[in-house]
Amino acid sequence: MFRYWQRRFKTGVLTENPQLDERLSDLRKRLKKGIAKHFAGSLAIRMVDSGSCNACEAECNALSNPYYDLERLGVHFVASPRHADVMLLSGVLTMNMLPHVLDAWEQIPEPKWCITLGDCPMLDSPIERTFAVKGPAGEHLPVAYHIPGCPPSPEAILEGLVGFLETMEN
Amino acid sequence: MGTSKKRLIARFAVDRGDRFEILTRFENEAIQSERIDREKAKAASLMPRYPAAVWFERKIMDDFGIRFEGAFDTRPLLHHERWPEAIHPMRRDFDRDMVLEEAPFRSYRYAVVGGEGVFEVAVGPIHAGIIEPGHFHFSQAGEEMLHQEVRHFYKYRGIEKSCEGKSLTQAAPIVARISGNESVAAQIALARIAERASDTQTPTPQRARQALLLELERIIHHWTDLGFIPNDAGFAAALAYASARAEEARRLMAALTGHRFGFDAIFSGTEDWDKATINAWIERNFEAIEWFESWITDIPSLWDRMDTTGILKRAEALRYGCVGVMARASGLERDVRMNDPFYTERGFAAALEESGDVAARFKIRIAEIKASLELMRRFAEEAEAEPYRIAEPRDGAYDAFVESSLGELYLYVELEAGKITRLFFRDPSFVNWQALPTLMPGNIIADFPLINKSCDLSYAGNDL
Repeated sequence: MFRYWQRRFKTGVLTENPQLDERLSDLRKRLKKGIAKHFAGSLAIRMVDSGSCNACEAECNALSNPYYDLERLGVHFVASPRHADVMLLSGVLTMNMLPHVLDAWEQIPEPKWCITLGDCPMLDSPIERTFAVKGPAGEHLPVAYHIPGCPPSPEAILEGLVGFLETMEN
Repeated sequence: MGTSKKRLIARFAVDRGDRFEILTRFENEAIQSERIDREKAKAASLMPRYPAAVWFERKIMDDFGIRFEGAFDTRPLLHHERWPEAIHPMRRDFDRDMVLEEAPFRSYRYAVVGGEGVFEVAVGPIHAGIIEPGHFHFSQAGEEMLHQEVRHFYKYRGIEKSCEGKSLTQAAPIVARISGNESVAAQIALARIAERASDTQTPTPQRARQALLLELERIIHHWTDLGFIPNDAGFAAALAYASARAEEARRLMAALTGHRFGFDAIFSGTEDWDKATINAWIERNFEAIEWFESWITDIPSLWDRMDTTGILKRAEALRYGCVGVMARASGLERDVRMNDPFYTERGFAAALEESGDVAARFKIRIAEIKASLELMRRFAEEAEAEPYRIAEPRDGAYDAFVESSLGELYLYVELEAGKITRLFFRDPSFVNWQALPTLMPGNIIADFPLINKSCDLSYAGNDL
């Protein structure tokens, strides 16, 4: 492990987008009461793939790499919907996934928000509405916020999540 | 094992209007065609001889309503509990605008092991991490896995049907989005088909451009796995390191194609490539993989978890016709690039390991990053940024193989009046998933995530 730490110190900090820290800390101040009330200081996300190509998931995973380091913003992905504030939904909502997505949504305690991720849940991507597709998501879930892209880049997802938090101000 | 030595690559049906046809592709053979009477809709099953035929034939049953005599597994594959009965969407007379209503719930009979003290563990479709949906059904004796059934097709989007009636150019954006991890590979398969259908040959600089992007896609995928596999054994430092390298590779993809996954990159984009940037990146990545290897080889507690875990026996890999990393880690020299002079003339040799365990698949990925970087060096010299343009295709049936980051990808397309009348896509995962349960017996369920990640198969590409 010595070698690892040697390299670690040589590499320094890779994390980018410091402006998000500033925006968020500013936002935190403004939303202090609201965040404390809604999210107990941090935002917990349950990511659900309802029939994507896996690129949206790959970009969500990339959010945890050293370049983006999502958790520093107090936003983290959780394993159980019962621990979540937000369902982040990717994919076209296939016939085979719809009941499971609705199950997961039901398991998230109130208050809760559904954020759609990428063009698929809106059926804006080249993947078409076929017999096997039950999207758009808005027909089945109360969509509170949308992060477009095919797939949205990690920066776009970060921007989107901060943008979503900003809507809580109103 | 008593099965034939031939490798089953694909088996699928086509609707010919007055009859069906079942097409079967074995390795090193021309496509075999069976004529199926439309009214009787019956064929002889290959399941008893080829275990990988199980999903191919179950898919044909759902898609076309053809029954297989001698089949030991006739459960629906794509059509889950709430599908209406007797719906066969790949038939030509299926109304494409039909909106399917949920039918009453019909339960699915899982293949389980019985006996005193044996219990079942159901995992998924929604998993704990940020991963694709699929269901794994375990029969357990305490911690030990006795049996696992893999149940998929939760992501079934009807992609094959949605490509019908489109030109190759119109279908390209869909094909690029079948599986995000293999987008470049799928696009190249389509380009190969367009090439054959128009009797043209891609000039070397363009071919080198495609091949360079394909190796870059492989490097991204392997770096991602080199982080996630140790992470699933509780060694997060590897993930921190490898995920940063994967991110840098993705950024190179974005710099070369305008897209982090190379979506639509084979058929569009004209920016000039900055060869100095590519070469500098290649050298940095070489240094990174060599450092990573020397570092991680020295972590004995990690290899304790990976050595002898989740062994795919060579005989099973042969029986199922496994491809890609899984096959090569079990001593099978199987790689589409091996049979392609374009690669062999540039010094390509497939990576090979014998032990078939998680460790072997891990080592294959390290070796393949190095091999891909070597290839990228060559391709970078020859490549030009010009994308591939699809020429006017002739009608007919065409197929193509590409070695994606997951293994051999097979694409079959029929064209009539310039439009696709049948598109069949066989992801490498479609055969490899079927072999996955053979890796489980003798392992504890806590090692399942590690075993599964070491194979890193696609759900989206499999489910379509």
